[in-house]
Amino acid sequence: MNRVAALLLACAAGVAALPAHAQKVIRVWHTETQPNSQEVMRTIGKRFEAKNPGVKVEVEGLAWGDLEGKIMASLAAGAPPELSHGQPITCTALQAKGLLLPLDDVVKALGEANIWDQVKRVCRVGGKQYGLVHAAGTSLLIYRKDLATKAGLKPPKTWADLIANAKALTTSEMAGITIPGDNLFINILLGELLKANGGIFFDKQNRPQLTAKQMIETLEFIRELTRYAPKGWEGHGYLETFTNLYGQKAAMMYQGYGRGAGLIEKSAPAAMANTDHFDVWVKPHGPSGKEPAAQVDEEPWMLFKGAKNTKEAIEFLKFFYQKENYLEYVQTVPIHLFPITKSLRADKDYQATPMIQRWKSWIEVQEGYLNKDQGKPTLVIDWDDMTSKPYLMEVLGSGILRDMVMDVALEGKPAKDAAARAQKRLEELLKSKGYLK
Amino acid sequence: MSQHASARTGWLLVLPALLLLAALTLYPVAYGIWISFFNKHSFFPEQEFIGLANYVAVFGDEQFWHSLELGAIYSVTTIVLQLTLGVGGALLLHEKMPARGLIRAISIFPYVIPTVVAVIVWKWLLNSQFGLVNYALESAGAIDRPISWMGRDWIMVSLILVSVWQFFPFVLLAVLARLQTIPEELYDAAKVDGASALLRFWHVTLPHLASVLFVVLLLRSIWMFTKFDTPWLIIQGGGAEPYIRTLPIYTYQRTFAYYEAGRGSAMAVLMFLMLVAAAALYFHLWRREERL
Repeated sequence: MNRVAALLLACAAGVAALPAHAQKVIRVWHTETQPNSQEVMRTIGKRFEAKNPGVKVEVEGLAWGDLEGKIMASLAAGAPPELSHGQPITCTALQAKGLLLPLDDVVKALGEANIWDQVKRVCRVGGKQYGLVHAAGTSLLIYRKDLATKAGLKPPKTWADLIANAKALTTSEMAGITIPGDNLFINILLGELLKANGGIFFDKQNRPQLTAKQMIETLEFIRELTRYAPKGWEGHGYLETFTNLYGQKAAMMYQGYGRGAGLIEKSAPAAMANTDHFDVWVKPHGPSGKEPAAQVDEEPWMLFKGAKNTKEAIEFLKFFYQKENYLEYVQTVPIHLFPITKSLRADKDYQATPMIQRWKSWIEVQEGYLNKDQGKPTLVIDWDDMTSKPYLMEVLGSGILRDMVMDVALEGKPAKDAAARAQKRLEELLKSKGYLK
Repeated sequence: MSQHASARTGWLLVLPALLLLAALTLYPVAYGIWISFFNKHSFFPEQEFIGLANYVAVFGDEQFWHSLELGAIYSVTTIVLQLTLGVGGALLLHEKMPARGLIRAISIFPYVIPTVVAVIVWKWLLNSQFGLVNYALESAGAIDRPISWMGRDWIMVSLILVSVWQFFPFVLLAVLARLQTIPEELYDAAKVDGASALLRFWHVTLPHLASVLFVVLLLRSIWMFTKFDTPWLIIQGGGAEPYIRTLPIYTYQRTFAYYEAGRGSAMAVLMFLMLVAAAALYFHLWRREERL
């Protein structure tokens, strides 16, 4: 009888123990969908599991277009993942609704002084870090150095210089410049151009400023610039735009990223896959602006309050940023995934990465933007916008700004009329959400 | 068993299906109508009753009317082309020819492959830089530089092309099935009377196809007017979206990009009412035609 009781007790204990193991699941959503990045993320997850018995890391790579909707749906269902990448403006919007937990423990583990100041400004509210960037990369003005040298062109300091360069590089076979036409990239473009022209999107009372002089100048500049873009540029996504560059159909790309260096090495003729042919210029400023501006692609990790295993998720993030793991991660896309820690940036192993050696100028321009605080997240003009304008996510999603740009660049509408129309639509949007009276 | 008991058994037997229908169809529709009276965030539990304000806003929204116009262009064009190709193809495949069975099987292929696959393949074919379509047109001397099929001037054409390719087999299949039931004697009699091929089609084939064309036209109109997946997939990863922003796309954007569930629901309700009104008018005209 005693034996039977002992057996039953053992079985019960075993059954009770099983769910305990299965319950410690850390769900991680990220947006680095390149196969090698996905592989490294999975490997880091496995390493963490090996060091933390009873914890399972479920890593999922998501396409950009799917991410926001999936995060929102998971929050609405009350089942968010433990960790996810997100746009900086998504991070602040979710933080404002009290849906995120701070990542200060991770910051402490990394050493606060060891993290770039620019990175710490992303999703930092009330002295707490609610989003911690996984890696940063800025937008780049990529140009055909061989052609520019041959034409005797100088780096453009102003928008007028850039247009002159685009005109000089335009031939019957090649467009002078190209930009992607989809909603996200047009929003990114408009944000950084407006900043480079000294403008703002919204005033302190949240009233849109689309009819201001700086915006009108920006729209007129886009109209002028796109005269030298390939016909149908508005239908090109990022990859197709980049294909135009390395496929020798366009001589410059305004909205490029360091990730493209990999594309060039993979797809351009071998003799051309170098900085003698594809180099970067610092972006010019507009007539009402004083300094260049770039967009920073720096999705922060977010830790969701409603998730089950938040403590384990914090430990996982600390583990992710440890040198062995983090170096391997940033090396998957070395020219785009700029490390957030100064220690890794200065590290010999990082410096020795072959691709970083080959595309040094691309890294240096990005570092310049970050050090001079000339890089901001999408639609963010001042860092204060991150917290004082929690509606930027809706503005981006609405496509109102893209419609305005298309009205000017494609439909030939006067910039003032297009801006007035967009102003009205944005005001209506903000009023319906209670941000504007 | 009495008639009363029999009826009760019948109701009990269909009850599970009725409950399922209520839960999966009636409840979502009723809930959609209900939240169209609220200013409601799509994901967060923030809502405020605003009566008919969403409907007033929709009617005053120029984007709504523009989307309605684009949707009408898209659905009317695709339906006309689907019917033309579908009926033409069915008449052709009704004739005796070598490998007819194989050709019939291949002809329904576009309809059976998933939309996502069809759109990815077409986007690849229509790619402005390395797409096969531009290559073929350039090789044939039809164009001197690549067409940007996803740009402003061509994206609606591309969408119509992909949609017609994908959905005309539905018409073909329905019409072909009906053609096979028309007695051969009718054609023989018409031939004896000296009717030409065109007259035989007009006086024999078409009247027999009328009922199936009625159903096909009704179904395809509803499906094309509410078509979401094909245009949505076309604009993923590049594509001049404002030029194919049909009503379902704009409704989705209002709901999941503006995060306005109430406004999005109001638009969906209006779309539903438009379809009901169009179907009612269509039925009315059909009955009148039948009486004549």
